[in-house]
Amino acid sequence: MAGLTTAPAAARRRRGGRRARGAAGHRPWGVAPTALLLLGAVYCLFPVCWVLLAATKSPSELFSTPTLSFGTGFLSNVEQLFAYRDGVFWLWAGNTLLYAGGGALLSTAVSAVSGYALAKYRFPGRDAIFTVLIGGILVPAVVLAIPQYLLFSKFGLADTYWAVLLPQILHPYSIYLARVYAAAAVPDSLLEAARIDGAGEGRLMARVALPLMTPGMVTIFLFQFVAIWNNFLLPFIMLGDDGKFPLTVGLYTLLAAGANQPALYNLILTGAFLSIVPLIALFLTMQRYWRTDLSSGAVK
Amino acid sequence: MSHSRRNAWPYLFLTPAMVLFTLFLAVPIGYTVYLAMRRTRVSGLGLGKGARREVFVGLDNFAAALGDAELWHGWLRVLGYGALVLTVMLGLALLFALLLDSARVRLARFSRIAIFLPYAVPGVAATLLWGFLYLPSLSPLRDVLDVDLLGASTVTYSMANVAVWGGTGFNMLALYTTLRAIPRDLYEAARLDGASELQIALRVKIPILTPAIILTTVFSIIATIQVFTEPTTLRPLTNTISSTWSPLMKVYRDAFVTGDLYSAAATSIVIAAISLVLSLGFLRVVRDRAFEEG
Amino acid sequence: MRAHRLGAALAVALTAALAACGSGEPAPRSTEAAQSPASAAAQGPVKLTYWTWAPNMDKIVAVWNQAHPDIQVTVSKQAGGDDAAAKYLTAAKAGNPPDLVQAEYQHLPSFIAADAVADLKAETAAIQGEFSEGLWRLVTLGTEGVYGVPQDSGPMMLFYRKDLFDKYGIEVPKTWQEYADAARAVRRKDPGVHLGTFSSKDPGAFTGLAQQAGAQWWSISGESWKVNIADEATRKVADYWGGLVKEGAIDDMPYFTPEWNKALNDGKLLTWPSAVWAPGVLSTNAPKAKGKWAAAPLPQWNAGESFSGFWGGSSTAVSAKTPSKAAAARFATWLNTDPAALELLVKEAAIYPAATKAQSALGEAPEYFADQPDFWQQAAAVSAGARGFTFGPNVGVTYNAFKDAFDKAVQNKSSFSAAVQAMQDATVADMRKSGFQIAQ
Repeated sequence: MAGLTTAPAAARRRRGGRRARGAAGHRPWGVAPTALLLLGAVYCLFPVCWVLLAATKSPSELFSTPTLSFGTGFLSNVEQLFAYRDGVFWLWAGNTLLYAGGGALLSTAVSAVSGYALAKYRFPGRDAIFTVLIGGILVPAVVLAIPQYLLFSKFGLADTYWAVLLPQILHPYSIYLARVYAAAAVPDSLLEAARIDGAGEGRLMARVALPLMTPGMVTIFLFQFVAIWNNFLLPFIMLGDDGKFPLTVGLYTLLAAGANQPALYNLILTGAFLSIVPLIALFLTMQRYWRTDLSSGAVK
Repeated sequence: MSHSRRNAWPYLFLTPAMVLFTLFLAVPIGYTVYLAMRRTRVSGLGLGKGARREVFVGLDNFAAALGDAELWHGWLRVLGYGALVLTVMLGLALLFALLLDSARVRLARFSRIAIFLPYAVPGVAATLLWGFLYLPSLSPLRDVLDVDLLGASTVTYSMANVAVWGGTGFNMLALYTTLRAIPRDLYEAARLDGASELQIALRVKIPILTPAIILTTVFSIIATIQVFTEPTTLRPLTNTISSTWSPLMKVYRDAFVTGDLYSAAATSIVIAAISLVLSLGFLRVVRDRAFEEG
Repeated sequence: MRAHRLGAALAVALTAALAACGSGEPAPRSTEAAQSPASAAAQGPVKLTYWTWAPNMDKIVAVWNQAHPDIQVTVSKQAGGDDAAAKYLTAAKAGNPPDLVQAEYQHLPSFIAADAVADLKAETAAIQGEFSEGLWRLVTLGTEGVYGVPQDSGPMMLFYRKDLFDKYGIEVPKTWQEYADAARAVRRKDPGVHLGTFSSKDPGAFTGLAQQAGAQWWSISGESWKVNIADEATRKVADYWGGLVKEGAIDDMPYFTPEWNKALNDGKLLTWPSAVWAPGVLSTNAPKAKGKWAAAPLPQWNAGESFSGFWGGSSTAVSAKTPSKAAAARFATWLNTDPAALELLVKEAAIYPAATKAQSALGEAPEYFADQPDFWQQAAAVSAGARGFTFGPNVGVTYNAFKDAFDKAVQNKSSFSAAVQAMQDATVADMRKSGFQIAQ
């Protein structure tokens, strides 16, 4: 309902704004917001462009041509990378997808359900549970990795896919975000109305609350996906078998190639660049969920 | 009857999180505490079987961590670095989130993805990448800036820049999504009253965002206290960063470089405790506003 | 509904995890866990896992597997360097180590001290003669035990830009005194160029230079360790480089950084006192300078001597926890002494073999040094003059202290021998804390 009125109103205002900018001095900061954002975008893109440029350079060009110029070796770098140890790069990419996709999916589900419960129910121990769950963020991952490894080893789960997947499901920040989203996006009145209609609590969450929380859940999924995609320390410690490595650990074996072996910079840079591409694609796909009007689920 | 059944539901919803918490956080944390109270003792040459055993040493490791001057220097360095990162990163994140949410910005989608993109770059890669840009003989920035970006006086700023670059997009998106979760009609009224976008941002959006801003700040404080990747990755490129530059670097050094798991465990518990004190202190200052959605 | 199904899936996953936890059996051995399902047959071959970072090791192992159906080795390629040692120690502590591991000489004592590697004395009695005494000492620490089979070694040499030496009219320095004079001469002729650089990030290089001067940082006497890092030889080496850095005669950029690569490519650095494996690094990092580098023996402290030290090199060690020690030792022996395996190691893994007869069998010079046909003969000569050394049980502490202390010394242009003293103090303090017996 709000959406129906907002969209045309915003469009009207936007047109008005553009006209106003023409009228000198009426709104002197008219272009400023766009300019500021673009400035931010340039600052953020500049180093990424550098990776792209560096990935195009052959080993001999990498340290001898000007930093901001294209090289001629992109295709041969890609070819070398894919051929490296019979295409182990693809195996690492597949593992990464499994860890990040599976982990983020489970993480989003756990976070959304927990956040909804914390935001929309009053029950004894709520604050205590919230504090305890959030408190997990106080312990640095570097610290947890070793005890987690020792414990996983005790139970024979070290060096398995589970060892990387399971510890990354619980994410305090996501639970916190889910709570905030649930509080803001799920009106109590809607829940009450549905309860009066006789909906059970489980159904209420699945049919009413979670659809309303979609943009938040998309964000949580995205955050977790990227976080697991880029995690290094946990898989590095947990995994011994290089066939289970994710990309980060795999590429690291190229960088720290050994004391008397040169680092394969060109392959690392190309690999790093290629490993960002799926994330960009994911981001572009997920973008559209933020445009969905939030209350549409309720109106339907 | 139905009321009491409803009372069980939130616990049911929270069960998966609590089980995961117990298995993958509480138990390992407990194990860390156990390790922190032990130490290896070797006898003689320490070679061969039976020359090495683990003994209980009580709070000795904690005493050593608290009495370590180098660790306190680390805290001071991190404090200065953290103040810089927190203000710049969160300021930018808030600014960009508000700009994106305002109706009058063009190229918003492009900017949104561009600003978030650094988050997709792994921390190690991001730092290496900036490291390349900082190195005097390679840097294209060097033509513009005539300073050694990895010198003793500048290296903190250079590291802060990496953190700001990598973290702004994440925080921006967290705030932006929160803004999107607010029903639009809330500011329609203000608009109809003739309030400008700036006034809406200051008087309507920021107050609504406050809890999110506060918790984002708390999480950023904790993340900053745990700064590790940036200095560790830049360290091979410059001689201005020691192996104990930040407290967490000392933990890593003890655990992985010098093989003293027990000191590492004790130091990390001290770090967690100090994070807790700092974040609780911050929350106390702003308490009334933090959880008002409750 | 959807959430329900997710919840159910999660419950299943957790139950599986808990069930696995509940079984409470001590970890299945990594060898079994890491194996392909094909190993299910009860009377199947012995399966061994092997952590290494040497390139193409899987190809070499394939040759072994072909010839030995009863002992099948699986290579897991790891990151090299100090992280590899930390990871192995953690795995050993957790009871989860591979059967075989590539162990750098300086980390071997830490492995032994942690009881993470097996004593192979009986299994290797026949092959001791294949290696020089200095290298053998690196895997025995001068004790009765044998804790690994030497694989590769890194005797140090001086690498220099022949073309630029000609251009600036510099002779190849025979002594460190001549090297210092040449460094000053280069600065006078072209202020944009340095003869070399001192790296505060590479304790291995410094250790090698100290070995050349006759340093013995650790030694074992009876049941005690002797720690003598700040001995006269080491302080001499430290002060020599400290003086050159302080007066600006040589640069202070660390090795292996992108900046260093660029300096090598651009001809801004004329020498690199490095080890015999340098051609591999140079050909990748400074491809532009191919054919322009040459190798010579390290400059000497006294004219007429021919001493060198080691930088790098590793051994093949067997995990103390492996159930198939004999099979693992057989493989380690084959890998590092069998002529066919050695040839593959040289060709595929680009290492400088530890086995003496393999060193002298090396023929054609590395492509990067095509102009120097006697490269390997030179290397063998240098190798013969490399001084033996014993590493201590906490080299991690010592090397870390090196980086911190020399970083500071380079930055503040302060005394390098004070930095060496800091290494000694940190090492002794750490050993005392753990309870090692230390002789004064």
